[in-house]
Amino acid sequence: MDPFATLGLPRRYELDRGELEARYRELQKALHPDRHAGASASQRRMSLARAVEVNDAYRALKDDLRRAEALLSLYGGKAEPEGGAADPEFLMEVMELRESLGDAKAAGDLARVRQLADKVEAMRGAARTTLVERFGDGAADPEPVALAEASALVSRLKYFKRFLDEVSVIEEEALG
Amino acid sequence: MAYSKKVVDHYENPRNVGTLDKEDESVGTGLVGAPACGDVMRLQIRVNPETEVVEEAKFKTFGCGSAIASSSLVTEWVKGKTIDEAMALENSQIVEELNLPPVKIHCSVLAEDAIKSAIADFRKKQAARKGETGPAEGESANSAE
Ligand code: FES
Repeated sequence: MDPFATLGLPRRYELDRGELEARYRELQKALHPDRHAGASASQRRMSLARAVEVNDAYRALKDDLRRAEALLSLYGGKAEPEGGAADPEFLMEVMELRESLGDAKAAGDLARVRQLADKVEAMRGAARTTLVERFGDGAADPEPVALAEASALVSRLKYFKRFLDEVSVIEEEALG
Repeated sequence: MAYSKKVVDHYENPRNVGTLDKEDESVGTGLVGAPACGDVMRLQIRVNPETEVVEEAKFKTFGCGSAIASSSLVTEWVKGKTIDEAMALENSQIVEELNLPPVKIHCSVLAEDAIKSAIADFRKKQAARKGETGPAEGESANSAE
């Protein structure tokens, strides 16, 4: 399934949130059961199935990581395999960040936790900016080299997400 | 999801958590990650260069319970083994010992990759020390004698 096609949006990583919301609401309205009350049972089933599809597409595109994964699979890009041979320096950096986060948590140093989170958020922002370029504007398929880079960037996004999820847990615990 | 007793045991009392000096010539370091979930694992071994027996093994894992248990188990297993024996270790043995469900297999793969890359790192260092040309980047040649 192509969530971009479902919502009639260009295949780009950069997202115009206003446009996404507008398309989504438009389609939702058109597919609403009330508008098909007089239709045949099979037609109603079809618009229901379509409504489900629209919902899924909307949720996939709204999420920065899932949108990247959707593009990757549309272009036939492969997700990175397990292991670390691909990018040892990056893994080293992630390991160090996780260790620092663990230390900050153990010390109850929330300011340090925030500082680390800001750093990772900045790294994530940079990765997203590059992803916008690598995936291109949707007019043509990305070159294989760009696609390979995109695939590596998508897995970086997952390491960042994992880190930032951990931060949320720490910060929520501190609040509770 | 219910973890097996052995997983819980290794998770609550992980064996051999820690760090070895990665600059040490007798230490091999394996650093791996799972892009599927974003978790990372470091596994290190200290090897006697004469006998090639693993004398010490340490790990640090930021990941789920199964990944922690898998790495803990591997450090226990490889101690006292030669690196050739350790190299033969497969993730299916970990899965069986810890009774891991299919969704957790990638976590045990991580531990297998980690020990293999630690061994490769040790061999590379030894080859470099003997002044031979080390095995090509990443790939580990079979033992260098
Ligand atoms: S879920 Fe990430 S290593 Fe197990």
